[in-house]
Amino acid sequence: MNRKSILTLAIAMVVVVSVAQSASAYVLLSPRRTWASGTVNVPVYTGGNSTITDGDGGVTAVVGAVKAWNVVTSSPTNQAAVRGQAPATIMLNTNGRICTGSCLAATLTGYYTGNTIYDADVYTNTKYKFYSSREADGCSAEFDIDGIMVHEVGHVIGIGHSNVAGATMYPTVSSCNAANRTLESDDIAAMLDLY
Amino acid sequence: MHRRVFTIIGLLVILALPLSASQFVNVPFDQIATESRYIVRAQIGETWSAWDDAHEVIYTYATIRVNRYFGDATGPDTLMIREVGGTVDGYTQEAIGFPVIRAGQDVVLMLSTWEDSSDFRIHAFNQGKFLVNRRGNREVLTADPERQGEARLATREGGRVQTTASDDEAGISIEEFAQMVNDARAGRAAGSGLGRTQQQ
Repeated sequence: MNRKSILTLAIAMVVVVSVAQSASAYVLLSPRRTWASGTVNVPVYTGGNSTITDGDGGVTAVVGAVKAWNVVTSSPTNQAAVRGQAPATIMLNTNGRICTGSCLAATLTGYYTGNTIYDADVYTNTKYKFYSSREADGCSAEFDIDGIMVHEVGHVIGIGHSNVAGATMYPTVSSCNAANRTLESDDIAAMLDLY
Repeated sequence: MHRRVFTIIGLLVILALPLSASQFVNVPFDQIATESRYIVRAQIGETWSAWDDAHEVIYTYATIRVNRYFGDATGPDTLMIREVGGTVDGYTQEAIGFPVIRAGQDVVLMLSTWEDSSDFRIHAFNQGKFLVNRRGNREVLTADPERQGEARLATREGGRVQTTASDDEAGISIEEFAQMVNDARAGRAAGSGLGRTQQQ
C-alpha cells in the first residue's frame, strides 16, 4: 500500500468516525423549542409518592436532583400541575391519566407554532415502586426517582433521547440504577445547545 | 426449529431497539400479547384531535380499518383508537415518546382499552405498534421508530407516510408474528424471556 492510499484510508476513517460520533450524539425535541426565559422553574408538588420512604415521598430529593440541569430552579409547591399553564410541575403522586400501564413517568409538553415551550408537566405511574437518594433503606427492585426525574426534566427543557450510552438522556434504565442523577457531557452539550 | 429460533431472535432485535420514550418498563412480548384485547393488522384512516371534557389533555383519535385479527379474539371491521397528544387550534400537546398515529399507515397494533373508558389504545405504547413493510414479495413487521417529540423520524411523500423503518432494519414476517401471538395466547410462552430489561 503506497503513501497516498494510506493517507486516503486515514482520512476516510476519520470521516467515518466523525459521522458515527455525530450520529450518536444528543437529540433535541422536534421541532426545536425552548422556554422563553433562560431559567426554567420546575417546582415539585408536595403530594409525594407513597412508595418512597424518605419522609416526604421524594419531594425534597427530586427538588435537589433536577437542579443538576443548571438552567433549572426548583422548590416544593402546594400548587398541582395545571395543564397548558406554566410553571412546569413535577407530580410524584399521580399518573395524570396518561402514564399508565408500562409507563414509569411521562412528560406532557405543550407549545404553539413557534419555538417556545408553553408548558410541560411530569407525571408518575404510582403503580410502580420508587426510592430516592434520601431513603435510608436503599433499593430493592425499585426505580430511582432522582434519576428518572432528572431525565424527565431534560424533556421539560427541550431535549429528546440520546444515543450515547451512559448519558442521562439515554432511553434505557434498569431498576436500582442511580446513574441518571449525574449529567454526562452529552447531556450538558444538549443543554448548552438550547440555552 | 431454526426458523423458530430466528423468529425469536428477530423479535428480540425489534424489542431491543431503544424505546424513545418518557420512561417505560419494557414488557415481554407474551405479556403484551395476552393482555391485549385485540391484535390487528389495519390501515389507519382519518385522524382528528380534541381536548378532553376537562380541557386538560388533547387526544388524537383515529379510525382503523381492520384487515385481520390475530389470535382468538375477533371484532368489527372498523375500530376507533385514542392516543394522548395532538394539535388543537394551533396548540400542540405531546407526551414525549408516546406513539404517533398517522393516517395512511399500514400497521399491526396490539390494543387494549383505557382504564377509564372503553376506548382503545395501543397496548404498552410503541411496543404494541409495528409497521408493515414490503421487502420484495414479502411483508415484514418492524418497530415504529417514530415517537412524539421526535417527528424528525417521519416524512410524508405524496401523502404516503415514510419512516426510517427501512429495509435494513430487522423485521419478522406477519405469519411468524401470528404464530408468536397464537403461542403466547395459548400459554406456550412463545417469546418468554424477551425484553426483561427495564427501559425508559
